[in-house]
Amino acid sequence: MTEVPVVHFLYLAAVLFGIGLFGVLVRKNAISVLMGIELMLNAVNINYLAFAKYWGNGNLTGPVFVVFVITIAAAEAAVALAIVISIYRQLKSANVDDAHNLRG
Amino acid sequence: MTLTLFYILAGIIVASALLVVTVRNLFHCALALALTMFGISGIYLYLGWEFLAAVQVLIYVGAVTVLIIFGIMLTRRVMDDKARVMNNQVLLSFLAAIAVMFILFMVVGNSSFQYTNHAPVVSAAQSTETSSAASSATVAYTDEVAALAAGLLRPQNGFAFAFEFVSVLLLSALVGAVVVARKDPA
Repeated sequence: MTEVPVVHFLYLAAVLFGIGLFGVLVRKNAISVLMGIELMLNAVNINYLAFAKYWGNGNLTGPVFVVFVITIAAAEAAVALAIVISIYRQLKSANVDDAHNLRG
Repeated sequence: MTLTLFYILAGIIVASALLVVTVRNLFHCALALALTMFGISGIYLYLGWEFLAAVQVLIYVGAVTVLIIFGIMLTRRVMDDKARVMNNQVLLSFLAAIAVMFILFMVVGNSSFQYTNHAPVVSAAQSTETSSAASSATVAYTDEVAALAAGLLRPQNGFAFAFEFVSVLLLSALVGAVVVARKDPA
């Protein structure tokens, strides 16, 4: 099952991270930005698990970190969506460009 | 055969991730995100982390995507087709993403992982018999869930405090989300 070299997983994670970064930078809607962040976090998780499988030797630090990343990503999604809904209620828009009240 | 399986999974992941960042309709974006998460859980299964693959499906496909779809529905006016979905720095963002990807490719390509023919560990739990107890997080359990629980909660691994702290974080995120999304600020 492990005839795939570990670098393949690293390349896949790099591509996924780049796509997520593009989404974060380019989308106007705040929810789309959130989706890009989720893609980037999952790219990191792929790296953790590939390294833990190929190089871990039973060390479970990688999977434990994956559990933490998943938990914190879920909490982040909940809080971020609450903020988006609150902003939408105030400004009637969910675009990140419209939320510039704090700009000096 | 297994290499083909990996490439199919990687193709699904990359294609649906591209859909997530490019499709106009936000609802379709969320569905593509669910497909991406399914593909990533397939990668976890492929690597042999069955429990984490199940957690990935439960939390990302089951919870986060549904949460995002709720968010899209509650901010429904942004779903009109006329508005542009991308801002006016598309080229710059594309170059930045390509640059980051290129740097990561360079790093991976020049790393020693390419050339070291490291014997892949069949299973993290099974391999503990052969590996010495040099690393602090190494645990000798035979199934993945027990090993993961021990890795999280054994005091000598140093993650027990972080585990408890994450539970406090979840509680505060729950309360914070309710307070922020309330209609009338108290």
